[in-house]
Amino acid sequence: MFINSKKNWELPESAVTPESVYQSRRAFFKSLGYGVAGAALSASYLDGATTGFPTERNPKYTLRELDLTPYDLVTSYNNFYEFSTDKGGPKKLANKGWKPEPWTVEVSGLVRNPIKMDVNDLIKKVGGIEQRVYRLRCVEAWSIVVPWDGFPLRKLIELVEPIADAKFVKFTSFNNPEEAPGQRSKNIDWPYVEGLTLSEAANELTFMGTGLYGKPMPNQNGAPIRLVVPWKYGFKSIKSIVHIDFTSKAPINTWQALQPREYGFFANVNPNVSHPRWSQATERIIGGGFFNSRKETLMFNGYEKEVGHLYRGLDLRKFY
Amino acid sequence: MKEKLVHIFRSKLFIYTVLALPGLYTLYPILSQNPTFLADPAKYLLEYVGKTATLLFIFVLSLSPMRALIPNSQIIASINRHRRVFGVSAFVYVVFHLSFYLIYEGILSQIVENFQKPFILSGAFAFFILFILTSTSTDWAVRKFGYTRWKRIHRMAYLAALLIFYHQAVQEKTGAVQTVYFFAPLAVLEFARVSKYILKKKTLKNVSSKSHAAADRR
Repeated sequence: MFINSKKNWELPESAVTPESVYQSRRAFFKSLGYGVAGAALSASYLDGATTGFPTERNPKYTLRELDLTPYDLVTSYNNFYEFSTDKGGPKKLANKGWKPEPWTVEVSGLVRNPIKMDVNDLIKKVGGIEQRVYRLRCVEAWSIVVPWDGFPLRKLIELVEPIADAKFVKFTSFNNPEEAPGQRSKNIDWPYVEGLTLSEAANELTFMGTGLYGKPMPNQNGAPIRLVVPWKYGFKSIKSIVHIDFTSKAPINTWQALQPREYGFFANVNPNVSHPRWSQATERIIGGGFFNSRKETLMFNGYEKEVGHLYRGLDLRKFY
Repeated sequence: MKEKLVHIFRSKLFIYTVLALPGLYTLYPILSQNPTFLADPAKYLLEYVGKTATLLFIFVLSLSPMRALIPNSQIIASINRHRRVFGVSAFVYVVFHLSFYLIYEGILSQIVENFQKPFILSGAFAFFILFILTSTSTDWAVRKFGYTRWKRIHRMAYLAALLIFYHQAVQEKTGAVQTVYFFAPLAVLEFARVSKYILKKKTLKNVSSKSHAAADRR
């Protein structure tokens, strides 16, 4: 029998030093005039940021009641079909020759100020990054809790100023079959595409992830920049984005194109609408062990308060 | 050399070891702390033993066509001796597959809900067939039913194969590539066996009609 016991390095979220204490400790060092110690501290602080920008946990999004999924599991259990359909594959294959650096992101379409720039400059332009702890619920009925580093997509939207005709946002990932072996398979029409309505994209929760656990985004998790939409199934959170396009028509996302009966445009986490092959009422907690690791799936993955209003009057059985 | 191989394949100890190896292999991800395994052990094992069961089942189904195609091969004959053990061990892996599935789902209401889905239903039906085949695999059952009737019952294995093909194919998200790879050898063998059978029948018919014609002339 396999017994899952917590390793001594797997700290519960409750063990994380509260930010206020952490900050006051820095103030304490400063007040003592420990210049060297202070410098060392802030150096490691900067080091934790994705591309050299300080990251601070946003106190609004901490999910203190949940244990974070260990870094090791978040970065070794990945759905990234560009590299492999096997969960363990991306960690190996995305770190073999694929270099998500330098990386240019283009934001265009129905906007006043289209931009095309290096991802690091873009982060600087939107005003740096913050950390948020979000739940992530995969359509395959498993879930993780991740501290993401990044910035709210809304900041970018404010920057490019969509015009009135813009109703949807289309995200496109990279296409590089030479370095991404999964893209040599023709089963999927590469590159991977995802889409949101403009109001979904502008929601306070919608996040552009540029790192996790205070470290740069690992290749297998969608380096250097990816979407994080915590109230939708994981496949909506497109990885390694190169193009963001504001459109008037709904984009057809990759999974909807592949299996329209199984995956829709909205793909909101919904325990009441089951997948053709399994129930969505509950989910397996990754790292939860062999037994007893199912918990109930929450409507909109627990973010009903923040996003429920977006779907008032919409038949969620039809628009899954 | 060939004699030696035949000798090894005839040995029960060898066959039991070979059949137990995939089961022992499940210890490897536990010992090596494979992250995919650690992420969700029940799911990992469920998929692994499911595939093992499928491969074993396909292998045991391939024995008949192989024997029909190469009737004089001593190697095939020596392996074919163990066909019952192969079949039963395929079922043992299926039992593990089902057990891990029940642990993976965990909640009864959810299992009931899933039984309305063709994906799970096809697996359940295949399990039911394999259960009947395994429980009637004894010599006593053959005698009880009589060989012809027993054989007719055991032809349900082909229905099980179709169900397993479906069950495995629909869980592949981007085209049933692996399932097709798994089943292709069996399909080729069965096609060859049927073709050989039809050809043989035709030549027999030709020979007999010729001899009839000759008899008429007389």
